[in-house]
Amino acid sequence: MNIAVCIKQVPDVPSIRIDKQRMTIIREGVESIINPLDCVALEAAVDLRDKEGGFVTVLSMGPPQSEEALREALAAGADQAILLTDPNFAGADTLATSHVLARAISKLEPFPDLVLCGSQTIDSDTGHVAPQIAQELDLPQVCGVNEVHVEKDFFVVKRVSDRFLDTIRISMPAVLAVSSELCVPRHIPFGHLEKAFSDCNIIRWGMNDLELNPEEVGLKGSATWVARLHTPPPKRKGEILSGSPQILAGHLVKKLEAMGIIDEEEKKP
Amino acid sequence: MKDTESLISAHHNYLVNNVLTPGFILGDPSSKDTFYLLADVVLPGESTPRFSARLFDNRGCFLLELDWNRIRRNSGRCPYQSLPGGFRILYDSGDPLLSVRTESFPNGYLTHIQGKLYDQNAKVRMETSYAGIRVYGEAQLSIQVPYQPK
Amino acid sequence: MKKKRNRNSAQGVWIFGDYRNYFQDRVTLQLISKGRDLAQTLETEVAVLVLGEGIHQYAMEYVAHGADVIIAVNDSRLKEYQVETYTTVVAEIVESYQPEILLGGATSFGRELFPRLAKRLNTGLSADCVALEIDPDSGLLIQTTPAFGGEMLADVVTPNHRPQMATVHPGIFKERPHDSSILGRILYPEIDIRPDERIQLVRSRPHRTGKTNLEGADIVVAGGRGMGPKEEFDMLYELAELLGGEVGATRPAIRAGWADEERLLGQTGKTVKPKLLLSLGTSGALQYTAGIQGAETIIAVNRDPNAPIFKMADLALEGDARSIIAALLEELRKRL
Repeated sequence: MNIAVCIKQVPDVPSIRIDKQRMTIIREGVESIINPLDCVALEAAVDLRDKEGGFVTVLSMGPPQSEEALREALAAGADQAILLTDPNFAGADTLATSHVLARAISKLEPFPDLVLCGSQTIDSDTGHVAPQIAQELDLPQVCGVNEVHVEKDFFVVKRVSDRFLDTIRISMPAVLAVSSELCVPRHIPFGHLEKAFSDCNIIRWGMNDLELNPEEVGLKGSATWVARLHTPPPKRKGEILSGSPQILAGHLVKKLEAMGIIDEEEKKP
Repeated sequence: MKDTESLISAHHNYLVNNVLTPGFILGDPSSKDTFYLLADVVLPGESTPRFSARLFDNRGCFLLELDWNRIRRNSGRCPYQSLPGGFRILYDSGDPLLSVRTESFPNGYLTHIQGKLYDQNAKVRMETSYAGIRVYGEAQLSIQVPYQPK
Repeated sequence: MKKKRNRNSAQGVWIFGDYRNYFQDRVTLQLISKGRDLAQTLETEVAVLVLGEGIHQYAMEYVAHGADVIIAVNDSRLKEYQVETYTTVVAEIVESYQPEILLGGATSFGRELFPRLAKRLNTGLSADCVALEIDPDSGLLIQTTPAFGGEMLADVVTPNHRPQMATVHPGIFKERPHDSSILGRILYPEIDIRPDERIQLVRSRPHRTGKTNLEGADIVVAGGRGMGPKEEFDMLYELAELLGGEVGATRPAIRAGWADEERLLGQTGKTVKPKLLLSLGTSGALQYTAGIQGAETIIAVNRDPNAPIFKMADLALEGDARSIIAALLEELRKRL
């Protein structure tokens, strides 16, 4: 079974700090990682390949440093890694990003039976790319997958959607966006990492390889623009009270009374 | 893209030609002796539909008049039966003539209608279809306030 | 709503009617309410798109809650929510009528349908918005979404593509009350429905019937790491009951097993807008506060006077949340 996995190199979001003066993120000291849900997708792909036979290609659209993420993916068991990189790709929204990824997938020989993606990224969190790749390639999709079974020419998958547990039969080829419950990404032995960084070959594709026009990619190929970034409005500031638990509980009671949530205690005669 | 347009009430609608409508009229209720069916607007606070009609059989012979769901002038000797959420009128022979059932939602009502109705010229003016009724001939398919006789 | 052929004359604020789990899930009603405000500014109407089988009662509910127009496709082939078929049907209708704006709730289905639909329509989409406004100069829809884990907000616009699409987090906007006296319009487009055979729903069953109604609660009692261990955290259930509220929790509390996943508040959980939110033993991480910042009144309790949660509290108490809640419960039990 041939599988394509889309991964994205993202900043380690919880450790990001913002330069509020310049409205930019402070990049120094922030690690780059493979988007955690993409690791789950990759693990699922490698697992399926090990069981069913086949080939795992991992793809990523990004600047040249995304190569690190692809090498990690190779170390985790992918057979082939392709970096989609070109200055024209910069500034892309999901419409333009999914276009590049879909084009690259369509150029894989043979066309994959399965495209796996993480449901969303920790930096932009939209969850748009997988459905948009599916739409462009005219493939059926299921998002939030937490179980996958392979049959002859279809998959049976499970997922939770709006408090329903769905069991879905989806024919090959298909796009599946995975949830964290699908599997646990493996720990990569250091030896594999070493090998991936020293021996392996990363294929690079740019505009020409993908036969793309500048108007379809990057900022030009995007439909949405960020007009401005701003910080959430300053929140209220209450005075911080301290004291014994009983005293503080007393403050709470007064506030609840004032709000009409509990009745005021009747004064004793 | 072609479409069908109607009014829709937040409170109560009838289903006609697969379309929701607050009220509809077939024929002319102000006439003295010709066919009509008036499914009148149901205002908030009310929960039952209001049907008035003058009905004929498939040979164009007068059957009965209906006035606010009550039969008057029952030449056809048509039995009237109350049903849960509605009513049914049969032919003397026992065959169904007109049936009405109101479905209750938590915040509103939908009245389903079934039956095959003829006018004084023995022309079909209403008949049951797979999802409700289809109507033919002179009609106002959407009225928005209760009918006032002229 | 008139049909327009000309790309430059798009009009109408449309909302995708997501009625699964109605009456509990009410995001469509919330969007109708906001949609009315947007439509008024644009001098146009609010329409709700309703697809499915037996959709009459939802059409009526939407009219009662403020929709000017319902665009309805009532067909047994649309009985199940299915992304591929729905994308085709909605796209054809949108291409014919050309609305200016198309909004949807960020339900699981909405978050799967809207990106596919936006791609099909070749237009822009922003996800999980926390605010929507019309820019007075350009007339564009300003779509505000959290960025960088919620640390910042991004105002996104779709200048040259139509419709301008956005999904909106449930609980952000407030629905208008039900009004039985409203009369609206309903359109039934004639459309060919070709279900996508490549995908079949084999089985769908309710997954853990919701024990909570956090999004509709007037009072929310939220517990974080500072309310543990479990025996201490459990006090919050009693407190919530005494106050007539619901219990929410932060991710660390859920990970520790003190509360079910459905009680998660925050970016990956629920957004609540209660009259009163008690935030107990929570430090105020952004992923959490994103879900509670809409509360009218916030009371926060934490040991650490520098905890970020205090910056958003109307009443701030420095101390051990567990002892304070124990003392509070003692007092409340006496009275109620």
